[in-house]
Amino acid sequence: MPTAARATRSRPRPPPGLVAPVAPRAPLDPRTIERLLSLAMARGADFAEVYAERTERTAVSLEDGKIKSSQAGIDQGVGIRAVSGAKVGYAYSDDLDLPALERAAETAAHIAGAPRESPATALRRVAAPTHYRVLEPLATVDIARKVELVLRGDRAARRFDARIAQVSGAYADQTRAISVGNTEGHFAEDVQDLCRLHFQVVAVGKGGERRTGFYGGGGRVDLRFYESFSPEKAAEEAARQAIATLGAVDAPAGPQTVVLGPGWSGILLHEAIGHGLEADFIRKGTSLFTGKVGQKVASELVTVIDDGTVAGGRGSVNVDDEGVPGERKILIENGVLRGYMFDRLNAKLMGGRSTGSGRRESYRSTPMPRMTNTFLAPGDETPDEILRGVSKGLYCAHFGGGQVDISNGSFVFEVAEAYLIENGKLGRPVKNATLIGVGPEVLKNVTHVGCDPTPDPGIGSCGKDGQLVQVGVGLPTVRIEELTVGGTALGKRPKAAASNRRRA
Amino acid sequence: MATGRIPKGELRRLAERVVERAKRRGARQADAFAEVSRESSVRVRDGEVEELSQATGKGIGLRVVAAGRLGFAYTSDLSGGALETLVDRALALAKASAPDEANRLPNARALAARNGPQELLDPAVEALSTDWKIDAAKTMERVGRGVDAHVKAFESVGASDVAGEVAIATSEGISDEYRHGYVALYSAPVAQDDAGGLQTGYWVDYRRFLADLETPEAVGRRAAERAVRMLGARKVESCRVPVVLDPLMAASFFGGLVAALNGNLVRKKASFLAGRVGERIAPVDLSLVDDGLLSRGLGSRPFDGEGLATRRQSLVERGVLRCYLYDCHAAQKAKAKSTATASRGYQSLPAIGTTNLMAVAHAPVPAAEIVRGVSRGLYVTSMLGHGADPVTGDYSRGAAGLLIEGGELSRPVQEVTVAGNLLEMLAGIDAMGDDLDFRGQVRAPTIRFRELTVSGA
Repeated sequence: MPTAARATRSRPRPPPGLVAPVAPRAPLDPRTIERLLSLAMARGADFAEVYAERTERTAVSLEDGKIKSSQAGIDQGVGIRAVSGAKVGYAYSDDLDLPALERAAETAAHIAGAPRESPATALRRVAAPTHYRVLEPLATVDIARKVELVLRGDRAARRFDARIAQVSGAYADQTRAISVGNTEGHFAEDVQDLCRLHFQVVAVGKGGERRTGFYGGGGRVDLRFYESFSPEKAAEEAARQAIATLGAVDAPAGPQTVVLGPGWSGILLHEAIGHGLEADFIRKGTSLFTGKVGQKVASELVTVIDDGTVAGGRGSVNVDDEGVPGERKILIENGVLRGYMFDRLNAKLMGGRSTGSGRRESYRSTPMPRMTNTFLAPGDETPDEILRGVSKGLYCAHFGGGQVDISNGSFVFEVAEAYLIENGKLGRPVKNATLIGVGPEVLKNVTHVGCDPTPDPGIGSCGKDGQLVQVGVGLPTVRIEELTVGGTALGKRPKAAASNRRRA
Repeated sequence: MATGRIPKGELRRLAERVVERAKRRGARQADAFAEVSRESSVRVRDGEVEELSQATGKGIGLRVVAAGRLGFAYTSDLSGGALETLVDRALALAKASAPDEANRLPNARALAARNGPQELLDPAVEALSTDWKIDAAKTMERVGRGVDAHVKAFESVGASDVAGEVAIATSEGISDEYRHGYVALYSAPVAQDDAGGLQTGYWVDYRRFLADLETPEAVGRRAAERAVRMLGARKVESCRVPVVLDPLMAASFFGGLVAALNGNLVRKKASFLAGRVGERIAPVDLSLVDDGLLSRGLGSRPFDGEGLATRRQSLVERGVLRCYLYDCHAAQKAKAKSTATASRGYQSLPAIGTTNLMAVAHAPVPAAEIVRGVSRGLYVTSMLGHGADPVTGDYSRGAAGLLIEGGELSRPVQEVTVAGNLLEMLAGIDAMGDDLDFRGQVRAPTIRFRELTVSGA
């Protein structure tokens, strides 16, 4: 609302000193880490690691045109891991007193057998690249500037169309400082800034029909990001989605030709194949991609890359949460499986090397192999050419979340904005569609890949085993045959001529 | 295990001190929510310990209202200096929020007396040894392998326990604390067929009291059976058929309704249930009850995230929508009363939630009979995706389970979706089982929908 906006602008800024004046630093120095490593090895473990973290967060939420709350927090602690063969002992403490940390190290050490003299570790700093140099750490920025981003978007969404009934918005950031040292002598530090701004909008149409829209952006960037990614444009995009889907018809049910628009649709890769290539599932033989390196697992049009080095990417890591530099990894090349994503533990147990994929939600959890930014390499067709070639099908422009069952490969992802395709043109909007498929089968049915590689706008997160980490995805426009659309409208489409062979 | 244990009353006094400081520094109102916990978990693999984890955690979150504006800050650092910074930060942040009359904490008059003990912490869980958990996890793995030769691997098998303490203090005279804990067993075996096809089964139990917990043998067996019976699963033709949800999936369905019952979304007309209080939205044999007082309930607590005494209340009574869920802020906006169901952790503001949500069947029938009454349909045992849109009521989720043919469970099915509209789905529940499940914070029996769209081949 205009009044609230004026009030905010005229409000005095918080006095200096009440916001953190400097970027957070990880709470442990190398000497303390060396001492804790020695304790963690005291019972004969063959590897130990100390991970220290301090994360400062701020958040602003908007409702009814006003800033509803402003929040901030500090979370810090140390996680200590001792590894003996495939066995892991883990303990963490958010008490940073040396005695508490020593107790944690001793607890972790218990995984191994009998007491023995532990070797001393001399830590050496790992040189790490910088994929997200931040000039002004988010934790040091006046909250008033963050508030303004949310208010600007709110105003834009309300101006967009009289049918916009509700706008909510949120800004959240964190500055996370980590230091990791292990008994191989590696010591790494990193400061990771991360922010996101998003808007959710409800539009009301004829007869009280309600549709929602959602859009936002962010990444490992500082607030300068929002000079080029305009809060107004983001909120207007959310509003556009809500208005565009008013009058949507029931989604057709059953297999059909689907064209995925570019961007966040990359969640398809993340669910359909990415999780199944994480090395822990491979080592345990619970992924259907186990033992398939060198085999054709997708259409030759499909090249999938997980890239932790994308500048400003939401999933990028200078070093991962085990201190290993982030990497660009080709997972699938022209349809052939090239390799998996490894953390240190699984790399060691499987005779490989870490691909900088060891990530964790916080010091409270052990690292696991995780994706960073996962992309499909572009093809050479224009999006228009791809669309024009479809006589009947579904065009999916925006998506919600997704989920996968690693063992049988079944995945879903929810479609937020979709249109019927008729004779190469977009038709009526469609509501309530979920796409479901089996990863490798769907990737074999990719028949067209566009020349428009597009990263998602940088607000995605991924949950695995209860741990949430930030990820990026990206996809050019693609066409997939015979993808099952979970709709409610039956019998409105011609039946598919040939059914797919399962799990070829 | 005594780690993480602090002297009685100390956490509450810490919260009180933080609130007092906030008042002195200019907060009109304030509340502080503090937690300490210790957790211990074990995972096994191939008869050996794979991961042992032990930890203690703590933290405090402070909400302040100053000049009608809301600020919030939290910290995991409970040292004196950190707590001073906490108060100053929360007050500085409040200046960035807009004034709102609804930013009022409940006054002491709104507080009912405590409703007595609810058995939230079992001394046997508090004292549970690491060896017990290791043995339990090994047993689940061994029994699972023994169920069927197709059980070849495990995604994870483990046991864990958590014990903690929660305290709240407010400027309006609330000051209270309680201790709580639970123990959990879980197994996720993977079965493999001769063609190399994999299926994961999953079974879990978590309880406040050790004596209530399913045995490791039972959890291990059930998980393996659920994996093995899915081998060879494939799609079915798209169709409209009766759909039966097993109790876990039924709980997930009713849990999905919570977003639509959120009084704040209802006020903003961002819920398909807005304006329907007093309307029949479900069969007369169905009630939806939230009960924060349930003895040994996983969601039970003496007070909610804002310090209000919890209670038992019907949200849907014999099919009729009775009320929405409110925290204090949403209640004041909507001129309603808080349902005392606000959830809260120290890192966040209170949020509208539920305690123990139960789908009560007034005319339950044996679960087997529910399946027997279906000539062709789908029995759903696992789902993928979120699927329910609280604004529109549109529902579409990935599903897997068993085909029902001639009243019997037949071949396994995967890679299909079930879809409908929540209003129609609720009205179309035509049977509820007598097998109310007692694990988790949402409890439901087997339910059957008269007809939903199943999308497959």
